[in-house]
This record gives sequence, C-alpha cells and structure tokens, in this order.
Amino acid sequence: MASEPSAKRIAGFAAVATLLFTVLLGRLWQLQVVQGAYYLQLSEENRLRDLRLPAPRGILYDRKGRPLVSNRAAFTVSLLAMELRDPERVLPRLAVLLGIPVETIRDRLAQARSRPFEPVRLLRDAPKNVVAMIEENRLDLPGVLIEVEPVRHYLYGALAAHALGYLGEISADELAARSGYRMGDLIGKSGTERIYDRKLRGHEGRLRVEVDARGRPLGVLSREPSHAGKSLVLTIDLDIQRAAEAALGEQTGAVVVLDPRNGEVLALVSHPAFDPNVFAAGITPERWRQLSGDTGLRLLSRATDATYEPGSVFKVVTAAAALTRGTATRETRVNCNGIFRLGRWVFHDLAAYGTVDFITGVAKSCNVFFWTLGTRTGGDAMAEMARALGLGARTGIDLPSENAGLIPDSAWKRRTQGEPWYPGDNANMAIGQGWMNVTPLQIARMIAAVANGGTLVRPHLVRQVIDPATGTVERVTTGPTGTVGFRPDVLATLREALEAVVVRGTGRAVAIPGLAIAGKTGSAENPRGQPHAWFAAYAPVDQPRIALAVLVEHGRRGGLVAAPIARAVLQAAFGIPAPPEAREGGEEGIR
Amino acid sequence: MKRLLRDLDVPLLVITLLLVGYGMILLASATASLGGPWGYIRTRLFHLLVALAALVGVLLVDYRRVAGAWKALYAANLVLLVAVLLVGVTRLGAQRWIALGPFGGFQPSELAKIVLIITLARHLDGRLPPATVAGVVPYLLHMGLPLLLIIRQPDLGTAMVIGAILVGMLFLAGVRLRVLGSLGGLALMGAPFLWSLLHDYQRRRLVVFLDPTVDPLGAGYALTQAKIAVGSGQLWGKGLFAGTQNLLRFIPEQHTDFIFTVVGEELGFVGGMVLLALFALWVWRALHIASTAGDRLGQLIAGGILTMVVFHVFVNVGMTMGLMPITGIPLPFISYGGSSLLGMFVATGLLLNVRMRRRKILF
Repeated sequence: MASEPSAKRIAGFAAVATLLFTVLLGRLWQLQVVQGAYYLQLSEENRLRDLRLPAPRGILYDRKGRPLVSNRAAFTVSLLAMELRDPERVLPRLAVLLGIPVETIRDRLAQARSRPFEPVRLLRDAPKNVVAMIEENRLDLPGVLIEVEPVRHYLYGALAAHALGYLGEISADELAARSGYRMGDLIGKSGTERIYDRKLRGHEGRLRVEVDARGRPLGVLSREPSHAGKSLVLTIDLDIQRAAEAALGEQTGAVVVLDPRNGEVLALVSHPAFDPNVFAAGITPERWRQLSGDTGLRLLSRATDATYEPGSVFKVVTAAAALTRGTATRETRVNCNGIFRLGRWVFHDLAAYGTVDFITGVAKSCNVFFWTLGTRTGGDAMAEMARALGLGARTGIDLPSENAGLIPDSAWKRRTQGEPWYPGDNANMAIGQGWMNVTPLQIARMIAAVANGGTLVRPHLVRQVIDPATGTVERVTTGPTGTVGFRPDVLATLREALEAVVVRGTGRAVAIPGLAIAGKTGSAENPRGQPHAWFAAYAPVDQPRIALAVLVEHGRRGGLVAAPIARAVLQAAFGIPAPPEAREGGEEGIR
Repeated sequence: MKRLLRDLDVPLLVITLLLVGYGMILLASATASLGGPWGYIRTRLFHLLVALAALVGVLLVDYRRVAGAWKALYAANLVLLVAVLLVGVTRLGAQRWIALGPFGGFQPSELAKIVLIITLARHLDGRLPPATVAGVVPYLLHMGLPLLLIIRQPDLGTAMVIGAILVGMLFLAGVRLRVLGSLGGLALMGAPFLWSLLHDYQRRRLVVFLDPTVDPLGAGYALTQAKIAVGSGQLWGKGLFAGTQNLLRFIPEQHTDFIFTVVGEELGFVGGMVLLALFALWVWRALHIASTAGDRLGQLIAGGILTMVVFHVFVNVGMTMGLMPITGIPLPFISYGGSSLLGMFVATGLLLNVRMRRRKILF
C-alpha cells in the first residue's frame, strides 16, 4: 500500500505532468490560433512558386510599317541558388565559362539571397558555344539553368539609335521611382524605348505552380497569360533616315527631318552613334564606359541634346524680325562693301557684294546687310522673334531629354553678365553669334514654321500605337505648341529670300532640278575649333512637305558641307534619283 | 486468473489502442507522399501484433518475479547495447539498430529504458531513500553504465529519457528535493564536459534551437518547417491528406519523430488537443495505478513508466513547436517504428501487471 509521503510525491507527479501538458497546449494555441494566419502564409509561400511569363516587348515600325526593332529568342544562363552545391568549386568554373568575374556572380547571388528558389540571371544572350559547353558539363554544374528569353533586336544596328534608344537592367533608383517593375527587369534607358516603356513592355503573365520541398514543380495551379506590349508605328521613314545617315557619313553632326505640317519626325540622325544591340543583352559597366566615355560621347543625341552656335541660319530670325518691325522691307538696300562701322568700331566682312537689296542680302548671306538690320531692329526684338520661332525652349518632342538652348536678350545679359546690352551685341546677334545656343531640332522646327506659314509644330516620333491582341490602332496626334503670327507680306518676302538662297545664293549646292527648295546656310564660328556647318531648308516651296536641319560639327562651310547632305535627304524624301555628276557649291557659299 | 482479469485496467488498454489507432490514421497521411501508405500500414499492423503479444506475455508473469530476475535483465540489456555498437546497423548517422533479417531492425535502446525502470525500481525497493548526494551514487552508476553505451551510438534523446527516469524514480522513492537540487547543480557544472562529448550535428541542433534563423536551409530547416506545419493548421487543420507541408515533404521524418506536425497541420488545434487529451488520460491512468500499487516495487515501476511517457510526449511535441531542441525521440504509440511500439506496449503491460496484482495473491 502506498505510504503517506509517496502519495504526496505522486501528487507532485500529477502536478508536473499537468504543468507540462498545459505548456504544450498553450504553445499549440499560440502557434495555431494566435499566429496561425502567419504560418499559413509561410506554408503557402513554401509550396507556391510564381513563374514569370515574359511579355514580348512591342515592335517598333517605321512609318511605312517596316520593322526597325523586334525581339529574338536568346539563351539566358541563370543560377538557382537552392540547387547550387559546392559553390566554391562551381562558381569559378562558371565564371570562366561565361567570361564574367566570379565576384559578379557572388554579388548577384547575394542580392537574391532572400528568394533562393528564383533563378538569378547571370548572362543574357549567351553565345551558342557557351551554351553548348554548359550543356555538356551539366552534371558538374548543379543549379545552373539555361532558359530561352526574348532579347531586343535592332534590325539596322546603329540606325536611328538616338531616336529608338536602348534597354538596360533597371537601376535601384529607377526601381524606387516606378511601380510595377522588378529587380532585373529590362527597361528603356533612352529614346522611344524609355518614353514609351510602359506601352512597349506589356504585362508579364504568371504561372502559379505547386512545388515540393526540393522545388520540383508538381502541377500548374493557375495561369495568368502575359499580355504582349503594344507596338509603335514611328514617324521615322526608313528611307530618309538611311539616306541622311549615309550622307552624313563619318562626319560628326546631326540631321533632323520634319514634316512641317504636323511635326512628325521623318529622320533623326546623330553621329557618332552606337549599336543598341550591344545593350540589349544587359551591358557590362566596362563596355558602357568604353562606349560613352572613351570613344567620345556616342550616346549623346546631337540632334536634341547638344547645342550649337546657330551662325548664319539665325539670319532667318534677323530677317523676320526686321520685316516684322518694319526696320527693313523687301526694297531695303544696303551697300555690302565689306565694312560696317558702328560708332568707333569697324566690322569686317569676308567678302564684298556691292549694293544689295533684301533678297540678295539674304541669298548671299551678306554680313554687312545683317549687321545693318540687326542694329536697326535691336537685340530684344530679335530675341522675341527667335522665341516665337521656338528657339531657346524645349520643343516638347517625345524623347526623355532635350536641351532648351539659349536665346539671350538685354535682361538676360544684365542678370547673368551684369552688363548692359551694347550696340555691338545687336550686330553679333544679327549673324547668329554671341551667347546663343540652339539644337538642330530647334532649327528644323524654326524652318518648318516658315514653311507652314507660322505654326510652331511639336515634333514627335510616334504615329500610332497598335495593340497586338486586339489589333486596335490608336493614332497619336500632337497639336502645335504655338504660332509665330507672321504678317502675310513678311512671310512672302522671307520665303522669297530663302528660295533665292538656293537658286542664286549660298545654298546652291542643295538645288535639285524640278524641286523648288528654300533654305539658309550657316557657318557658325565657335571657340572649340573650325566653324560648324549648318543648313536648314524646306521643300517644295509652294506646298512644303519636308523641313530639315543639318549640322556638321566643325564642317566649316554650311553651303559646301551641310547643303549636299540636305540635298541627299531631299532626294530620298521625294524619290528623286541622284544625278550622276555631283554639283559643287559656289565659292560664295561660305556661310 | 479470473480475479486477475477482473482487475485488468480496461480504460488504460482502451486509451492505448485509441492512441495506436489515431497514430495509424496519421501514419497513412504521413506516408502518402512516401510511395503510398499501404506498405507502412501493413508493417505497422505486424508491429502491433508483436507488441500486443509482448504485452500479453508481460501480463502473464508477476512483475515481482520479473524484477526478481534483475541480474539477468540488466546483463542482457548490457549485452544488447554492446552488440549494437559492435554489429549494429547505421542509419541516419547513428548506430542504433540490430538487423533482424526480414523483420527489419531492432533498437535495443527502446527496451533498455524499460529494463532500467524495472531494475532501478528493484534497486530502490526496500531501501531507505538516500539522504545525501553521495547516497545517490550507486543509482547513478546503475543507470550510468548503459547510459554511456547509449550515448556512444549516439542516441542523445534516449540518454535524456533515462536521465529523466532516474530523476523521476528518485523523486518518487522519496529522495529529498535538496538532494535532487544538488544533483541538478552538479549536472549543470558538468554541462561543458557534456558539450565536449557531443557531435557537431548535435551541437548545431542545440544552437539552432536557440536561434533557428542561424542556418535556415541547414540545421534550422527542420525546426522552421515543423513550426510552419503546425502553425499553418490553425484551429481545424487543413484536413487529412491535405497538409501541404506533409505531402510536399517539407518535413523530414514526418512519419517518425515529426509525426506531430501531421496532426498539427491536418487536424489543427482541435486534433492536437484530442491527441494530447488521450495522452493526458493515459497518464491519469498511470498515476492512478502508481498510487494504488500493491507495493513499493510496483509503485516505483509505474512511476518510472509514467515519467518516461510524459517526458517522451513533452520532448517530442515540444520539439516540433520549438519548445525543445531537436533530439529525435519518438512520440509514444504514434511514431512509426517497431522497437518504440514494442517498448511502449511492454511498459503498458507492466502498468496493467502492477494494477492487476495490487492485492496479495492468494493461491
């Protein structure tokens, strides 16, 4: 029989057992009822994997429906961290095979540490021999995957590179600033690719699969199809773009071709350029530096982002301002003897033309003529006309960046230089020198405004947005940004003068039989070297359909260097075959 | 014989069979992803048959006579434990099994616990409880020799169970709390030495128990996944055969040591509570048998078995919920494994034996 003390001890047993069972039950309650929802979510995350179904990026077509940018299938080498065994042995081997530093692989793995079941991309667009070598050594490279992914394909390489733009992996800053993007996404970094990125990229689909503890997929639970990105029909005309690039050749410069009626950009050239295909597979930083730094600003779009002294193309503004203010008329005559006196200062022109009327003054680009006009009209009036023609301000083109340039006036000079506007400043400004800075795009729009009778168009690169799923076409229309308000007599005189430039003036090199062209040359002196060669033109004169600006950096003579490029562009635009003999520009065509 | 049968503790037998039945259902679900449950169920039924036979066998012989053979029992136990170390089979990194041909393997440490309960009870019976730490030394030696052999396998879990049995039986024998406290103090002082005896993986388990995030894909994996499984069951569970942690094999050893995760995940708090309630009833019967035992020997045996089962349940269930370190001891009557089931049925048989023979037998 149990003794009295042992009964106490058995009661002690009961107490301890009760305590232990209570602890277990309490813990069970805590885990299942209090924190149950949290653990349920963890168990769902355990078993569910969302695989991304990439959405094909929208195609870019030229205005006639010819593809400029599409996608091609390529191999991507990825690493699945949770299946990686023996990283000390595998990673160095992989680094050698892929030709990337082992530290880069480690960095990428470290970034993806929190999601070990998601493949980490190591090399996009891997060469076929690399893929073959990995396939052969599959057993020695656990966790290494080869996936097929679309890669952006720029069909014509560097053609229109600055207008089209390029892709790159999204940066941390971009990721923070945008919603709906994920680490490792490719995103438009410049050009149309960047501005229209949301339309082009479409929506990624999702395949939800159930996996076991080793990450092996067991079955598809749900499928959310991807939606292909929208395609864009650009305003670019492949023929004109190619002709412009060919004509510019290896010279550093820019060509902008607009439709003066609506601002559509028919060609946008900047040279030197780059091949966006290089970036499409995810560029390495070394390569990028080599491209953007060492080889001289290839990524810079000289057509829109660089500014230049306008030189004599600015005489369009001077002439328009003088006619508008009445400081000159069609009948104004000036003695172009090569010398202009302003107080005790004497300005020397490079050539003398005798007494010229307004039309001839413009046609010959006589500096004395314009010094006279500028002095009569005044800097502020010229600046006002320049702004009315869209200089010194962004054009509003659908590109991620654009330079506003600068049009100075007396207030500006007082503010920034602390000096009043001197009469000499009038003379300088009249021939497009001084502090003035413009972009080739602005000059193209300026000449377009003369061509279309005074409407300041908004240049744009996209005509239509096409949804490949529904086939719906959305037309992109952009209204003008302003009007110049030309008086009819001013416009008529100006146009007549610009036509004379081509017929008998400095721009004869552009002339094409059967096509009436108006334009203005420029040779802009600049502190960095030889003058920049300019040419701005529109055609046909009676019903202009083309307006263009050509700039050749340090090309010296607008009439000799820039005008033939404009001529090639116009031939392409109007389908006129180039005549066998190339016409030489006149000796006068120096400005 | 009739009288003996009249004193058979039917509730304990029923509770035991209910536990085994519950375990069988869980086994079916736990092995659904291991190539189908039928092979496991069949083996389990065979184990059950053997275990029931052993239970009946234990019932037939008076526990006093069993304890009387303590020398033979103790010696046989040592022989088996040494045999494991010499010819044992290594599974999962530990040498705990003796191969038995078509019957699989036998784990002597599962029976060693029972033998030590019987022999220690006999050792303590009829002696005054030791009043000093020095007086406890003989009992420490009694348990210590087989304990060392078991640690060698290594089987840290069973070693801990034997330690618990020793403490529980000394307590029941009336050893003063002060002496037990001193023993605890000595054990703590010896802890660094014990730590040095541990294998690397055992140390890792202990570190991970304190902080599972140390190594989420390695040693902490089992603990993390077990907690996710249990917690995600919520109040009612995901349903039998519907636990994703179980079926997709996120839980290692989900049909043996981690079988409680299957209850927790698939049957929820309610299912877990029912299981714990069955164990509580079992313990209640064992307490009743201990308190009504016919003699001190029977009481000590019942107390030892009680301690063993409570410790098993607490450590096993506690480990799946992050309350205890992962030590790999089975959940009595539930975990898949023949030796464990056999040991638990022999223990149950001993309890029934003590209950049945609480009155002096009159021939």
